[in-house]
Amino acid sequence: MTGPVRVAILGCAHRPHAWAYARALSASARARLVAVYDEDPALGRSVADDFGATWTDDLPTLLRDGDLEAVVVCSATSRHREHVEQAAAAGLHVLCEKPIATSLRDASTMLAACHEAGVQLHLAFVSRFLPHVRTAKAALDAGSLGDVVGMRLVNRGRPPLPPHYPAWITTVEESGGGALIDHSVHLTDLVRHLTGREVRRVAAETGTLLWDTDVEDCALLSLVLDDGTVVALDPSWSVPAGNPWDYDFSLHLVGTRGSIDLDDLAESVQVVSPRLGAGLRLAGFAEDPDIAMLDAFCESVRLGRPVSPSATGEDGLRALEVALAGYASAADGARPVVVGGGPS
Amino acid sequence: MADALRVGVVGAGLIAGCHVRAYTRIPDVVVVAVADPHVTKAEQLASTVGAAACADLDEVLSRGVDVVSVCTPPARHADVTLEALAAGCHVLCEKPVARTLADAVRIQSAAEAADTVVMIGHVSRFEPDHRMARDLVADGHVGDVAMATHSMTTSFPGWSEGGWLARAEESGGPLLDLSAHSFDYLAWVIGSPAVRVHAVAADSPAGPSTYALATVRFASGAMGQVETSWAHPVARGFKAVVEIVGTDGRISWDYDSLNGGAIYLDQGDVIWLDPLGERGYTREIAAFVEAVRSGGPSPVPVADGVAATRTALAALHSLRAGEPVDLTSWEGS
Repeated sequence: MTGPVRVAILGCAHRPHAWAYARALSASARARLVAVYDEDPALGRSVADDFGATWTDDLPTLLRDGDLEAVVVCSATSRHREHVEQAAAAGLHVLCEKPIATSLRDASTMLAACHEAGVQLHLAFVSRFLPHVRTAKAALDAGSLGDVVGMRLVNRGRPPLPPHYPAWITTVEESGGGALIDHSVHLTDLVRHLTGREVRRVAAETGTLLWDTDVEDCALLSLVLDDGTVVALDPSWSVPAGNPWDYDFSLHLVGTRGSIDLDDLAESVQVVSPRLGAGLRLAGFAEDPDIAMLDAFCESVRLGRPVSPSATGEDGLRALEVALAGYASAADGARPVVVGGGPS
Repeated sequence: MADALRVGVVGAGLIAGCHVRAYTRIPDVVVVAVADPHVTKAEQLASTVGAAACADLDEVLSRGVDVVSVCTPPARHADVTLEALAAGCHVLCEKPVARTLADAVRIQSAAEAADTVVMIGHVSRFEPDHRMARDLVADGHVGDVAMATHSMTTSFPGWSEGGWLARAEESGGPLLDLSAHSFDYLAWVIGSPAVRVHAVAADSPAGPSTYALATVRFASGAMGQVETSWAHPVARGFKAVVEIVGTDGRISWDYDSLNGGAIYLDQGDVIWLDPLGERGYTREIAAFVEAVRSGGPSPVPVADGVAATRTALAALHSLRAGEPVDLTSWEGS
């Protein structure tokens, strides 16, 4: 097959992501957004209508559409499994929102379903596609930094609380937890992606210290990789009200022959405007990494294999394993938890 | 000059120089003696202020001093501090308080029994940036502190005599030498003692465990993260990154943004406009002298310094044990 890959969005429960992916699919020459599925008409239409796509609540009919080639799953985390399984059964390639699932059993089942169906399973670890991360990855792969000694990564945001966010994101049964699982999977994936190593030990402190929510909003993790590299992660929902930006991401790495300090806030200008609210705001001018990620997904579909730096279901499973080990550690006085790791 | 405060400095290394320069900026304070077993080092530093060069504390005391700055490697702190206190001197003891918990406790006991001022040199509390952030927290501007990160990363420091910093049994490595600052600052800002610490570390060309990460839980429930490194490239310099997250706001800064600009000269020279310089040491020594003159209290109590050193020693123990350490009951290793 040639031409744009025909893609549908499966589930809009994570509306900000579903909407951003719909926009990126519409902007990409490699993709064509054909339909948006959600059981909730208002939610589904709020994504579909902005990009001239069709909304449907009839999933079986959508999946039987002979022209459809791939789906982007953006439903609540606890429902990823059923949607991925149905898409795989219909022979469709899948890009799944992170975290992959709320349990390792669900994640493993999703990997097996896609493997048996002969379809690709990608995970939406978009940080891999940040241009500066790609530069850092190239420097590491070239050996310019020697062996990695240690890393410190942060990815913080505002709390995804109602009414601006759906309640499921802060409901353990549907999301798997709070800030720890929400943001640590991005960081864990970057650690594995950049080092090529697996996590062996995880220790974590967590707390609900900032916001009115039932899940943890603060988390600090320390990881030990299989080569002894040590890593600290801060995935907290600690961006305060009135902050000039909504999310921050930075990566600090030291190797035996060099170091990296990377901060995504650098690509912005400072704005004071009554239209943007009170005070100083940062207006980012970074390229939208969602487009690069969806381009790579579509290219992978055409080539019949995941192209670099796409993350796969296996990557999603490993990152989930570390997050769940973090919860186990936090519940046990921050004692380190050993994870199996390694290709299964 | 009959009323001038007479100062003796024991140890003539990098930090001793900071102390000497800071003392000379205060009226009616005179550095009368500088001691170091390497007499040429003592002579070099002493000559900058017209002080006598001595071989040891006994010689310094024989010159008649009111206060002693203890700037030796930490394994010598206890002996020097106890002797200076026995001689009736006020003491400013550098951090970490000691290399072992037993030595730290000796210093604390002697300080509690003494009627002179004893202060631990936690200079971070006097650095203008660190002080401003702590004052903002103390004034309630960010609510209760929930999380704090303190990172100090650098290449292996080249200044230690005979390279004692490289010998972990003497220096404790960066997790003690550098992180003692971080553990003290976090506990001071949060206003609550550390109750649990867990650390992981990796080796680098600078030596074993020269990159370390520690996670701390405080009695208030707040949590802290400490990054420390001697493993970074020389060209990168010394960097600090600090973040304090409260229930009502966040305070953060780093040395990359504390940059006052630069003066570039045609010949290729650059004069960096450093907003910090030696302001921390100047203010630290001024606070010490003020406390000595007014009869106390100590600007950085020995108990606070011992708490930070104990947290750092427990973090080192955590590396070996592979487990977190319960600071409410830990008695040293």
